[in-house]
Amino acid sequence: MTLSPSAFANETVIKPPRDWVLIGLWISLVVVAAIWIAPFVFIVFTSLKSTAQVTTTSAFAPPVDPQFVNYAKAWARGRFDITFVNSAIIAAIKVPLGLFISAMAAYALAKIPMRFGRLILVLILFGTMIPFQVMLAPIFTLVNGLGLIDTYPGVILPYLAFGIPYQVFILYGFFRGIPHELSEAARIDGASHFVTFRRVFLPVSLPVLAALFILDFVATWNEFAMALVLLQDREMWTLPLGLSAFQGQFSRDYGQLNAAIVMTVLPATIVYLIFQRYFVSGLTSGAVKG
Amino acid sequence: MASVTISSVRKTYGAVSVIHGVDIDIRHGEFVVLVGPSGCGKSTLLRMIAGLENISAGTIAIDDKVVNHLEPKDRDIAMVFQNYALYPQMTVAQNMSFALELAKVDKATIRQKVDAAAAILGLEPLLDRKPAQLSGGQRQRVAMGRAIVRNPKVFLFDEPLSNLDAKLRVAMRAEIKSLHQRLGTTVVYVTHDQIEAMTMADKIVVLNAGRVEQIGTPLELYDRPVNRFVAGFIGSPAMNFLRGTLQVDQAGLKVASGSVIAIGAYPVELTGRTVEFGIRPEHIQVTETGGLDTLVDVVEPTGSETHVVADVAGEKLVALIRRRMPISVGDRLPIVFEEGQGHLFDAESGQRLILSSGQA
Repeated sequence: MTLSPSAFANETVIKPPRDWVLIGLWISLVVVAAIWIAPFVFIVFTSLKSTAQVTTTSAFAPPVDPQFVNYAKAWARGRFDITFVNSAIIAAIKVPLGLFISAMAAYALAKIPMRFGRLILVLILFGTMIPFQVMLAPIFTLVNGLGLIDTYPGVILPYLAFGIPYQVFILYGFFRGIPHELSEAARIDGASHFVTFRRVFLPVSLPVLAALFILDFVATWNEFAMALVLLQDREMWTLPLGLSAFQGQFSRDYGQLNAAIVMTVLPATIVYLIFQRYFVSGLTSGAVKG
Repeated sequence: MASVTISSVRKTYGAVSVIHGVDIDIRHGEFVVLVGPSGCGKSTLLRMIAGLENISAGTIAIDDKVVNHLEPKDRDIAMVFQNYALYPQMTVAQNMSFALELAKVDKATIRQKVDAAAAILGLEPLLDRKPAQLSGGQRQRVAMGRAIVRNPKVFLFDEPLSNLDAKLRVAMRAEIKSLHQRLGTTVVYVTHDQIEAMTMADKIVVLNAGRVEQIGTPLELYDRPVNRFVAGFIGSPAMNFLRGTLQVDQAGLKVASGSVIAIGAYPVELTGRTVEFGIRPEHIQVTETGGLDTLVDVVEPTGSETHVVADVAGEKLVALIRRRMPISVGDRLPIVFEEGQGHLFDAESGQRLILSSGQA
């Protein structure tokens, strides 16, 4: 039997019923997004206003005469040329190095049978349970004892120590979930553990590595307390330290202060935008039949 | 091509023993299927040949060279996994060339081998695709291609067709068999599907609970199972079993209900022995007159044949009838067992007592 298109012509199109739960979810998402975006809009707008405009206009009024000079002034007065470079160096070394070490450790714990593997995992996981505030004084004593106060290694090493445990924890779970046939196939193909790790596991783990990279970059970039304790020479300060001093000095000049804040968070935003495209689900689909 | 010799191989995990001394000889170029129910140790045995599991005791030799302590890559074997285990981020060509690349084979040779394998398996148009863009059957072919390019001494297959749908499974079965005929490489193939075993193997090894039950050609196993387990495992629909006491003088078997079922003549010294009488469904014939009176329970027509489940003296029997005939549930169906096709097994040990009626 064939049906001509006209057979449907007189049919009224039945709309699917409204999904009120979905609508409710969308509304709450929009509200939550607005709450999160509001301070950012406020900061960006304020950063482009002169002190007079800040006091006379509403916080959410767009700047009529954008004061881009605020950025240049804040950059110079806040010594961003120094703090920015320091933060960049620390993050550029710490974040990839920490992830690489964590991934190797997680691979070894998840895929290489070891006599005390479980115990080692538990010991590493202990690291996630210790609040770093408790450790601030001992860390200062230790770093001081090693003569590393006011040096990059002096702050990168403690950062690594506190960052690695939770990354190992997440990657361990992820690697455990990768079918063991994949590593066995690589073993039969003649791959060493390191080759299996680099050629098979790392590419498969890109989404989770990208997520950890972003989280770790933002955490490292914004870290304040440990940097405050370990970096006393102003020449070694990181952005958050510079920003806090800036706040003390120029707290009346809201335009410049907010320009400094925008410049501080911008790199983290850029890193996020670069890496978020790796958040593609289903990268492992097709490896094995689900 | 290579031979594989498995001698007194055992596997234990702590106190638990999963393989209890297995001996198998696999000749050059032979297609050997390890078959058995889940948990019988067949995959473990294959993984021991591959070098993915340690051997607790005994030896495995490939071409007379004991490989117990060799790494998988040094055993010159290739393995195809049930779930394919393709590298998801690599293209088909990269998947197939990975092993050669690691072995530092030069690029031109790799290219040539990959192209040759792709030609054999019809993968040429797919070489630049990633596994996620392939269908199940295509992925399975890539997994085989990955094995072929290495030109190994032995191919190991671990239930390679289990994840495919029924139709594709039949097609791939034929493909693997013709591949073996073309390449002539020794194959060890693990499956739980006895039809795969029967159709593909030169030699079948039936495993159960970590022990070899029987080794033989498919038809040897089918025609002369050495015990009740093999008899019940090989063949579909499965062999019928009737348990009872042998009444040689009446050429019958006294079953639980007290009735005597005619099973044909057996040596007189077996009288009074408790046995299991086995008869394959295709050896049950519908007769016009006489025979055993049965009551039809279930009728399953497949088109080419009809499976009839019938009740005889309180025992269920499956008959396979090739002739089209009007049979419906509740009918009275007179049947006879084909002369000389019965199997007798000791009820206690399950061991075969006699080949068939009239033969000792």
